[in-house]
Amino acid sequence: MDIRLTDCSVRFGDREALHPLTLALGERRIGIIGLNGSGKTTFARLINGLVKPTTGRVEVNGLDTVKDDRAVLAEAGFIFQNPQHQLIMPIVSDDIAFGLKNRGLPAKEISLRTEAVLARFGVSHLARRRVHELSGGETQLVAMASVVVTGPKILILDEPTNQLDLRNRRMVADTIEALDEDTIVITHDLGLVERVERLLLFHEGRLIADGSPGETIRYYHEVAGC
Amino acid sequence: MNTRDLVLIALFAAIVVVLGLIPPITLGFIPVPITAQSMGVMLAGCIIGARRAALSFLLFVLLVAIGLPVLSGGRGGLAILAGPSGGFIIGWAVAAYITGLIAERVIRPGISEGRQLIGFFLASVVGGILVLYAIGVPWLSFVTGTPLVAAAGGSLAFIPGDLVKAGIATLAARAVYAGYPLLPARA
Amino acid sequence: MLTSLYVEGQTWFHRAPVRAKLIALLALSIALFATNSPLLLLPAFLLCGGLYFSLGLTLRQAFARVGVVFFTILVLAVVNLFLIPVPDVLALVLRLMALVLFAAAVTATTTIGAFMDEVTVLLRPLERLGLVRAADVSLALGLVLRFVPDIFARYQAIREAHRARGVPIRPLTIIGPLIILTLKDADTIAAAIDARGFRRQ
Repeated sequence: MDIRLTDCSVRFGDREALHPLTLALGERRIGIIGLNGSGKTTFARLINGLVKPTTGRVEVNGLDTVKDDRAVLAEAGFIFQNPQHQLIMPIVSDDIAFGLKNRGLPAKEISLRTEAVLARFGVSHLARRRVHELSGGETQLVAMASVVVTGPKILILDEPTNQLDLRNRRMVADTIEALDEDTIVITHDLGLVERVERLLLFHEGRLIADGSPGETIRYYHEVAGC
Repeated sequence: MNTRDLVLIALFAAIVVVLGLIPPITLGFIPVPITAQSMGVMLAGCIIGARRAALSFLLFVLLVAIGLPVLSGGRGGLAILAGPSGGFIIGWAVAAYITGLIAERVIRPGISEGRQLIGFFLASVVGGILVLYAIGVPWLSFVTGTPLVAAAGGSLAFIPGDLVKAGIATLAARAVYAGYPLLPARA
Repeated sequence: MLTSLYVEGQTWFHRAPVRAKLIALLALSIALFATNSPLLLLPAFLLCGGLYFSLGLTLRQAFARVGVVFFTILVLAVVNLFLIPVPDVLALVLRLMALVLFAAAVTATTTIGAFMDEVTVLLRPLERLGLVRAADVSLALGLVLRFVPDIFARYQAIREAHRARGVPIRPLTIIGPLIILTLKDADTIAAAIDARGFRRQ
């Protein structure tokens, strides 16, 4: 991936959610940690243009998140903290197909791609199931499939293992590690970022550590005071 | 229309469907049981405003028309729209719009709680009762041949229940306005 | 929850094109209101009834679907007996019941998908005027079907919470929180729709 932030800050009303930051991210596996309200989710949303910078600019693979916001959304897929909110059609395969339909693809192509992506995530058996009946782990996998099917090069995952039991957590973690796409994982689950190439730590709206997982996690314990 | 409006419209229609699944309550002094769903018009207008409320109910009528059993008691389909009370269902969209229009004009941040309550009640009574009956009763009279005066007289039996609904809708709308205001303000 | 009133079947009415059925319904309603003669309305009633009861519904299901409407029609007919001449009352009852039966027959033989295709066609003129987008209508419809079970589950959870705290279950104390909690999701759902490019031009 090639993400560049130049003097970028975010303000909501009079609250500085992210202090001015200049940063370049080029690795394939990146993790982001921090306490609640530290600015890590704001940072993640900044990268795919869901949040626009108040000052400065953000470029994702050469695209500006303000000027080319549609293109950025296609380039960087976002998997939300509560994947339930992301699946918006009643049946799994319809949900996955819906994103493709709006791109004007022929029906044949849509069903082929839908089947392929479900198979890739090992959830072909869920194709005709109702979205609201899926388990937590299934929902997370289907949510990932629904984003990956549209072909983003970068995936941003916000708390992907939140509320999952041990077995589902393991399954989702393995799936993320095996993805062909570049990933940025925001999480409280330190096990999930132990092996990333670069781990960022946010605290009170500032980037305070940026390095290998071992170092950054040590800082995190200091900041959290435990 | 932005995506958030579209989602609010759809979610409110879904809430109205769920209100139809709540068992009706009977009050001793009122002849007809009160269904939570029939408060939907008043709630929609007072909570999400005229335009979104009207679109929400057009969507709801579409659900009825295409054969989903979304009306309270699991009813739905074209037969209901063709029957004597079809006018009330089709009138919901207009009623919600008028309710919203009044609420948007009366309610603004900073006015006292008492004025908010009066505003929501007024909007609910005018939109959710007067306007609705002004559409539903002549329709019923037309399709069933019951003379207009008799049809209007008969529907008086429903007025006490409707006033109770307006009261409940007022309190609920005020609670939502305090917790998560969505009503657009109009000058 | 929320299964359509469509009934699986292979009758000729199932196979008839939706548009033809809807046009027939419209034409029938105009024709039935154009006459007052029981001699024409009685056969119409019998034909519509025959059609409706031949679609593969059990008698019980068939009556359950039109029962409430028929009950209203009959109550109003009894009132009418005191107000207008008896032959007129008969004509009114036959006409309305025929119409309701035919409408119920259309509903029972048409899937949601087939209806939505017709809705898309009907919306085309409005779409050309830039007033509405058919894709938005199907998206909104999908959202309703998707979120009704979640909202109902939330209703039950709120009710449980009332019970657990020993608070009496009143519609007012349930409806307020139910609406707030549901509408608060709107922002995230809208963000997800935009993030996934569902409304791309």
